Amino acid sequence: MIRQIAAGLVVAVALAPTAFADTPSRVIAAGGSVAEIIHALGAGDRLIARDTTSTFPPALESLPDIGYVRALSSENLIAMAPDIVIAEHDAGPPEVLDVLQRSGIALVMAPQALDPDGVAAKIDAVATALNLPDAGAALQARVAAQLEQARIAGDALPRSPRVMFILSMQGGRLLVGGAGTSAEAMILLAGGTNAVTALDGYKPLTDEAAIAADPDLILMMDRGGDHAVVLADIIAHPALRLTRAAIDQRIVSMDGLYLLGFGPRTGAAALELNTHLRRLTDEVKG
Amino acid sequence: MVALADTPVLAGDRSIRARRVAFGLAGLLLLTSLLSLSHGASGVRLDLVLQSWLAGHDVPARDWLILWEIRLPRMLTGVLVGASLAVGGAVMQGLFRNPLADPGLVGVGAGAGLGAVLAIVLGGQAPAWVAAWLGWNMVPVAAFMGGWLSTMVLYRVSTRAGRTSTATMLLAGIALGALAGAATGILVYVADDRQLRDLTFWGLGSLGGASWPKIAAAGPVMLLALLAAPFLARGLNGLSLGEAAAHHIGLPVQRVKHVAILTVAAATGAAVAVSGGIGFIGIVVPHLLRLATGPDHRYLLVNAALLGATLLLLADLIARSIIAPAELPIGIVTAVIGAPVFLWILLRRRGLVDL
Amino acid sequence: MLTNRSLHASLGRTAVLHGITTSAAPGRIVAVIGPNGSGKTTLLRAISGDVAYDGRIALDGADLADLKPWELAARRGVLPQAATLAFPFTVAEVVRLGLTSGTQADRSDLIGRALAEVDLTGFSGRYYQELSGGQQARVQLARVRAQVWDPVVAGRPRWLFLDEPVAALDIAHQIGVMRVLRRFADAGGGVVIVLHDLNLAAMVADDVWLIHDGLLLDAGSPARVIGGSALAEAYGCPIVANRLPGPQATFVLPHGLWAAAG
Repeated sequence: MIRQIAAGLVVAVALAPTAFADTPSRVIAAGGSVAEIIHALGAGDRLIARDTTSTFPPALESLPDIGYVRALSSENLIAMAPDIVIAEHDAGPPEVLDVLQRSGIALVMAPQALDPDGVAAKIDAVATALNLPDAGAALQARVAAQLEQARIAGDALPRSPRVMFILSMQGGRLLVGGAGTSAEAMILLAGGTNAVTALDGYKPLTDEAAIAADPDLILMMDRGGDHAVVLADIIAHPALRLTRAAIDQRIVSMDGLYLLGFGPRTGAAALELNTHLRRLTDEVKG
Repeated sequence: MVALADTPVLAGDRSIRARRVAFGLAGLLLLTSLLSLSHGASGVRLDLVLQSWLAGHDVPARDWLILWEIRLPRMLTGVLVGASLAVGGAVMQGLFRNPLADPGLVGVGAGAGLGAVLAIVLGGQAPAWVAAWLGWNMVPVAAFMGGWLSTMVLYRVSTRAGRTSTATMLLAGIALGALAGAATGILVYVADDRQLRDLTFWGLGSLGGASWPKIAAAGPVMLLALLAAPFLARGLNGLSLGEAAAHHIGLPVQRVKHVAILTVAAATGAAVAVSGGIGFIGIVVPHLLRLATGPDHRYLLVNAALLGATLLLLADLIARSIIAPAELPIGIVTAVIGAPVFLWILLRRRGLVDL
Repeated sequence: MLTNRSLHASLGRTAVLHGITTSAAPGRIVAVIGPNGSGKTTLLRAISGDVAYDGRIALDGADLADLKPWELAARRGVLPQAATLAFPFTVAEVVRLGLTSGTQADRSDLIGRALAEVDLTGFSGRYYQELSGGQQARVQLARVRAQVWDPVVAGRPRWLFLDEPVAALDIAHQIGVMRVLRRFADAGGGVVIVLHDLNLAAMVADDVWLIHDGLLLDAGSPARVIGGSALAEAYGCPIVANRLPGPQATFVLPHGLWAAAG
């Protein structure tokens, strides 16, 4: 009996690659920037489900939630009978991805992006997977133009302000974006300099190191709270209050996916951050 | 407790009752296993698939895959892990003569956790041949090695001239746990954002990554521990009188302790390796069974395996369906159910020395 | 026959027994007496196989060091001074633990009989932990008795080594337990019992070992040892020994209080 089941299994595996269509119509997005790209390609109506991080455009939130992108559930995904799952590079666990593919569901892992080329490659991967080469090229061009605009704006800054990205300050403990983070990539894109390069990744920063870093601007994720409260928190923080950013009240919060997702809106986000930096350099100059 | 008084059996002898419970639990496990195999979001039905297969019809490849590659490994993993956690807990409690003892207590859990964190954080820097060789099993294998290694160190520290001191072992376990915790803390600091979230999810435990290769890697270890456990029953019963009295009634105390330690390390290390941190099974299951049929390990160990497996399968059914199409980490389910049950037990038994 | 030859034993780094040579015969009750810290319990633990020792202990011809735990268990039962229990066992289950090893693993009938012997019939369904200290002590004795129920098996005597078995018992149950030991010895079994109560020792023992500072100070009949001069030396206080007129049993009264008052 085991042998027969195994034989059935071999058949299943052999059949799998032929099972999906050329133009997939039932799509699951696993990753915020991927969902955003799918939508920007005009294929939002093909989405049947999305992961927890896929929050833009807001219409996505009415779709079923398949959970956290690194803890996907194999049978639940298969049960939704998608043609294709398009995932961020860090989706998992691997066992689940493996079974997905063997069940005949196409799986595309979009490459990680931390610069304009990366964003282009990511868009290309998604557009190819959806068999939308023209829409893909158009989106690539549009996003590339915005990114170029941001780059020019960044280069045009008279100097490169120091920006500190604070992921969280729970209980007054700072968790900041160090070298190699998407936050740093965004700061560079906008023409700024990461104020904290001594750390790799998102790491806790001591109060004294925060004072020494002395950012011109503090960048945070918009958590839907009142910006005034965030401001008050920073002004009251024993270390941050001593920084130039707090003294001049230069604190910017932006939506997390918009700021760090490296999807279609990355150019716009970089430009928005750039205008804050521009205002800062102009003021200091004047 | 003395409902058997009308039979010729001596009052206070709960062995017949315990045997009946064993049969009941075995039936329950069988039912739960079938439920686990036949329930899933895809709606694939075990009975229909088997029917059409037996009738000689073709079964859709997708249905086979769901049954054979997703549900069956998951069910088997649930059974093995649930049984191992419960038996590991029961053996540990018997060894330490303390119903609150838990494999987490002697650093086995912490050591396994350190192994897993090491693999998650530094696995990317492992030599290519190691990565190719272990593949996805790097985390489970590292967790198992960590649990095993910490047990060995613990054993070396707390054993003098062939005698293991329980007190030393307990204290050394606390120290080892702190050490493993500190090492884990350093690694967590080194970890990047994504690895951190991996660690969190691993810590909560899940059967979501169940697969045949994982079962092949950790299954035999768990099976060995489960098969060894019944042979410990008389020894652990004797140890409940204390080590001296256990020797007086004819038990090779040192050997019992050695085998018990190895059993706990194997059961807990392998279970943690496969499924991450799943709490409360190891402490609640033996506790409930002691209330129901008494502390006699001849029945306690077998029943703990059956009940632990059943409960974990039920928890998994909840975990994978309650927020479908997403999946809840199973450790959350066992904690949400297990912790109140445990508190209730404590409340009910409060004031009794036997606890 | 239980024989000890130049027995030395230590607890940690402290030498406790400094060379004890003595022997006990089956069919007789040996009481081990001596002041606190003299080494009585260590001596009992040595012959029970619990502590490492130098010298030689032989039980009916077999060297104690050569016997496996289960072989020992078939020859002797031990009642330690402080018996503990970790889990909520019932009384019946505790006594059953005595049947763990040896030839009588399937003799469940012994549970009821052993409980009856210590006057605990009807207690088998109770939780051990819910009993009084004295009742718990009797349950433990029943467990030990169940282990070596028959005083003689295949021509070889069996032994009971007991450390203060009656300390927690009321006087009626003290007598009851002593009767159990007497019957066991009369039927050919060997009994070695550590006792604090000199009068009880004088009453029940056939032989008395007086231990002092890890040495055997005196050994012999109760009349000789308890009535002798070594006793006051061992205990470091004047003790007056007397004899009951009827059964001619020895009894002692501490003398110091009257001496001080006088």
